[in-house]
This record gives sequence, structure tokens and C-alpha cells, in this order.
Amino acid sequence: MTTVPVSAVSWKYALISVFLVPRNVAVVVLRAYRAVISPLYGDVCRYYPSCSSYTLQAIQHRGLSVGAGLGILRIARCHPWAAGGVDDVKPAKNPRYALTPFGFVVPRSHGKG
Amino acid sequence: MDLLGTILWPIKWVVELILVAFHYVWTWVGLNPNDGLTWVLSIVGLVLVIRAALIPIFVKQIKSQRKMLEVAPQLKKIQDKYKGKKDQFSREAMSRETMELYKRTGTNPLSSCLPLLLQMPIFFSLFSVLNDAQHEKAGGGVGLLNETLAKSFGESDLFGAPLKATLANNEGSVLVIVFAVSMIALMTASQFITQLQIMSKNQSPEAKNSPMFKQQRILLYILPIVFVFSGVAFPLGVMFYWLTSNFWTMGQQFLVIRNMPTPGSEAAKAREARLAKRGKLVIKDGPLSDETVVDEVPKTTQRQQPVGKNRAKKQGGSK
Repeated sequence: MTTVPVSAVSWKYALISVFLVPRNVAVVVLRAYRAVISPLYGDVCRYYPSCSSYTLQAIQHRGLSVGAGLGILRIARCHPWAAGGVDDVKPAKNPRYALTPFGFVVPRSHGKG
Repeated sequence: MDLLGTILWPIKWVVELILVAFHYVWTWVGLNPNDGLTWVLSIVGLVLVIRAALIPIFVKQIKSQRKMLEVAPQLKKIQDKYKGKKDQFSREAMSRETMELYKRTGTNPLSSCLPLLLQMPIFFSLFSVLNDAQHEKAGGGVGLLNETLAKSFGESDLFGAPLKATLANNEGSVLVIVFAVSMIALMTASQFITQLQIMSKNQSPEAKNSPMFKQQRILLYILPIVFVFSGVAFPLGVMFYWLTSNFWTMGQQFLVIRNMPTPGSEAAKAREARLAKRGKLVIKDGPLSDETVVDEVPKTTQRQQPVGKNRAKKQGGSK
């Protein structure tokens, strides 16, 4: 148990949460896309995880701008002549955030300190 | 210009080129350049060109689907391994192994995402032209669709129903509502038929047992709802694009299922029956059978017994 004042912890928590807002907005958008629009096409992606799932993970781990860039590169790779296969997002070196079951990115310090 | 605009620019330019070229042709034939019919026919032309250009990709996909027969035993092995395991991790591991198998054997049957995404700007540029016209914004497209043509497109109407009108913004025209509702119905019907004929006729028994199949079945009933929602927001002109495209898919799928069905599916049996009726059945298991890897020739050390000349004649005839 650390003895950091509660207010300091919650301030830090709030600040990081604000920092995480853009990627969480993207998470909502991508989740909606995957629930509503993706099914229209059925299974098309030549990779595992699929392009939208890859982009979602990339944004969760690397933030909106880097993640979206990785997603675009992945879609560019997903053409009819590609061999496909397993192509995971490179995990972050030191994971600083946790994921909720829905996929929201939250500060790790929440709760357990 | 923003980043997205820069990426989409070349695609929009080509779309406008095709659209304007068709408009020119129809005008030259004698149609009124400002009439909605001319523009609708131009949209139909646009769809035909784009879908025809996509045929090679489609054929490639069908070929690799056929090649999947070769890896069917290995695929079955993976499916058996995860049989009855419905938790997320098993499903994920199964997808991973399946994908690895496709990659290793070069038999990836999936169509890839990029072509789908490339079709979006086409839709989008049609939408933006009609949308701009609706909000009386001046200015043409990025290329050959100049201000005059864009204005003509935006202000044209088909038998009195403006192409820029949507179901939600119908300008009090009953005709627009009639057009939009019947198009939504037609789109839903065509999509439904396409999906249903793939699923009920053109799936091999192995595919029918996969969890993906069940997922697709559910989709079949979600699709119409999506169409209704999007039909409300899109202008008539855009819906004509969508409708023509759907009809093309339906026809293409019908021809493929009829003439080169997935081996082992119901459609393949129906085709064999049809051919047998006409006395044209050639026993071979598909147009690509020569590419099929046969690695199960039983090699025995037993010596073939010599057969007398007369006996060979009686037995043979096959050689």
C-alpha cells in the first residue's frame, strides 16, 4: 500500500483519462462499425485479426494517430494478391493502460493503485 | 485539401471521368442532357464499368476457393481439434491456425479488404455531388464534372422525382417516396436472394458446419434493416448506384453458382444432374481438377500379376 493522498491519485487518473479521450472515441466508432457495417460484407479479410480488429487494437495500444496510421498500412496490405495469415499488432513495450471488457482504454492505476 | 481528400482524389477523378463519358454518350445518342433518365443511365454505366473491372478479382477468389479442396483434410483436422469448444480463446486459436494454413498453402479464399474500401469513394463522390446540389452549393467535382454538369446532375429529375431527394427530405413529392420505398424493397430483395443462394446452394457440407456459416445466417436477417435505415438518408441518385450494383452481384452470383459451383455443394449436384440429362456429363471433379494435388496413391511392394493376352482383353477396354 502506498500512502499517496487520494486527491493526488484521482487527479492523475482524471488527467490520464482526458489524454485517453481521443482513442476511446475511436474505440466507440470502430465498435459501432464492427457491429453494424462489417457484418454487411461477411468475412473478407485475408488476415487474422481482421483489418478492423487490427486497427482497433492498434488504436488502443498506440493512440489514435499512430494506430490509425498502422490501420491504413494494414488495409493497404490486404489486397487480393496478399498471402494473408496471422498479422498481430506489435504489443507496446511497457503497457501503461488497461482495457475494459468493452474495449475502452483506462489508466492502470484505477482501483488497485 | 485534407489527408482523406488527397487519398480519394484520384478515385473521384476516375469516377467523374466515367460518369461524364457516359453522360456524353447518352446525350450524343439523343437523350436530353438535363433529364434525370440520362443521369440515371450514366450511373448505371458507371456501375457496369466498375463491376466489370472487378471481375478478374472475383475470378481469382473463386479459383482459390476451389483450391481449398486440396487443404480440406488439413482444415478438417483443425475443425475437429476445436470441435465443441465455443469459448472465445478456442475460437481465436482456431481462426489463427486456419489463417496460417491458408498462408502456408497459398489457398486464401477470402477476398481482401482494399477493393471494398476502394468502392467507398465512388459511393461517396456520387453522394457528395448530389448532396451539394441539394444544399445549393456551387462548384463541380475534382475533374471532368464541371460546375455546369454538376448543376445539371443535381437539378435533374426522373419522371418528376428529383435525383437529389431523399426519403427523409422528399420535398413533399409522393413520387420520391414511391421511388425510394420501392428501391429499398428491391435492394433488400436482391441482397437477400444473393445471400440465400450462396448459403443454401453453394456451400460444401464442411462449410455448413462451421461457426461462420451460422453467423452468416443471422446476418441475412439483419441486412434488410440496415438497408431501410440507409435508404432513408441517401439521395435517389445514390440509391440507383447501389441498386444496380446489387443486381449485378445477384446475376454474377447466379451465373457462378450455375456454371462453376463449389464441388460437393447442392448446386454442384444440380449441375451434374442437368448435364447428365443432356448426356454431356464428363466425369471429372471440377474445372480445376488437374491442379488438385493427389498425394494418396497407395504404393505397394506387391508385384502386379501378369495377365494373359485374352484375359487382359476381357478385363480391359478401359485402357
